[in-house]
Amino acid sequence: MAHAQAEETRVEWESALVQRARDGDRRAFERLYRDHVGRVYGLCLRMTRDAQLAEDCTQDTFINAWRALGQFATRSSLSTWLHRIAVNVSLAKRRKSGPVEPLPEEDDGVPGAEWTLETPVEVQEIEDAIGALPEGARDALVLHALYGYSHPEAAHMLGIAEGTCKAQLHRARRLLRERLGVEVN
Amino acid sequence: MSGSGDSNGRKVGSLRELPQSIAPAHDLWPAIESRLPAVTPERSPTEQVGPRHRRAARLRWLAAAAMVACLATGVWIGRSLLPGGATPTAPVAAAAPPAGSGLALTAFDRTYVSDPRYERQRAALMHEVQERLAALPPPARAKVSASLAAIEKAKQDLEGELGHDPGNALLQELLINTYQDEMRVLTDVHEASDAGRGI
Repeated sequence: MAHAQAEETRVEWESALVQRARDGDRRAFERLYRDHVGRVYGLCLRMTRDAQLAEDCTQDTFINAWRALGQFATRSSLSTWLHRIAVNVSLAKRRKSGPVEPLPEEDDGVPGAEWTLETPVEVQEIEDAIGALPEGARDALVLHALYGYSHPEAAHMLGIAEGTCKAQLHRARRLLRERLGVEVN
Repeated sequence: MSGSGDSNGRKVGSLRELPQSIAPAHDLWPAIESRLPAVTPERSPTEQVGPRHRRAARLRWLAAAAMVACLATGVWIGRSLLPGGATPTAPVAAAAPPAGSGLALTAFDRTYVSDPRYERQRAALMHEVQERLAALPPPARAKVSASLAAIEKAKQDLEGELGHDPGNALLQELLINTYQDEMRVLTDVHEASDAGRGI
């Protein structure tokens, strides 16, 4: 109950900041930036695997968000909206910097969303294993398994078919299992 | 991958336990803020209600109020003052200036509105109407006067706005409509008096 009230207050506070930012208040926008930069940068870093590129993507994400703030519907999640922008920016930067890998065949044979490890593994070891995944598999895994987006949401953000997203997750699971040496369920 | 910070030997049993938030190595805000002045948040079409839009809406409302006042007066005159309760002329015909004046009301022409011939004719008509208004019963006089006052207010506001924005086609159209409305009221009163119903 207290948690729900706190969340409601947070959302109202955020809506007020969005409204002020829409009116051109940069201090309000800075506050939104400080609240969300970690999640945006975390996503960009995992998608690009390059700290400098991730910083550029984070900057562009907030610049684009500032431009498009008038189109943001305050009843939806600002965090998700920023993530969508961050994914678009990261994909665009990556396309510029290198060839696009081919998409795998669609595959529906993917288990549920909970990605548990048979044996606990050190954070850095998992991060390294995720970072070594092919781009498409990594993108799908980061959005779905780390940030909790559903298959349709992740597919929509990445601009791919849902079946393709599931196939990428299947591939990511197999490769993680091989690299970490533990079962990923 | 660098920058995850939270990796000091901690072990996790699920990918959901990995940190979602990672702090950048340095504050990115100064660089972002320095790029903000070049851009402004864009409003969605439904939210475009700046002072300019509010002013245009107010002027539209004023012109509409003038038209309503004019129509209401016309209907009232037709019903209560004319023989048989019929309006003697169609509204559009009533809005036209007197025959022979050489004036056309089909399109806005600022020169037409301030044309001395029009002004003279309007002044004469207004003078005549004022005289006849004095002979009207108080309720009728009040109704016509209120209509003319609403129209006059709309005209003044529109002309004031046109002074600031002379090329505004919407304001021009609203103004000519308001002049037509005024002419309609004056003509209605004039013709009603000609019909000999106490004016």
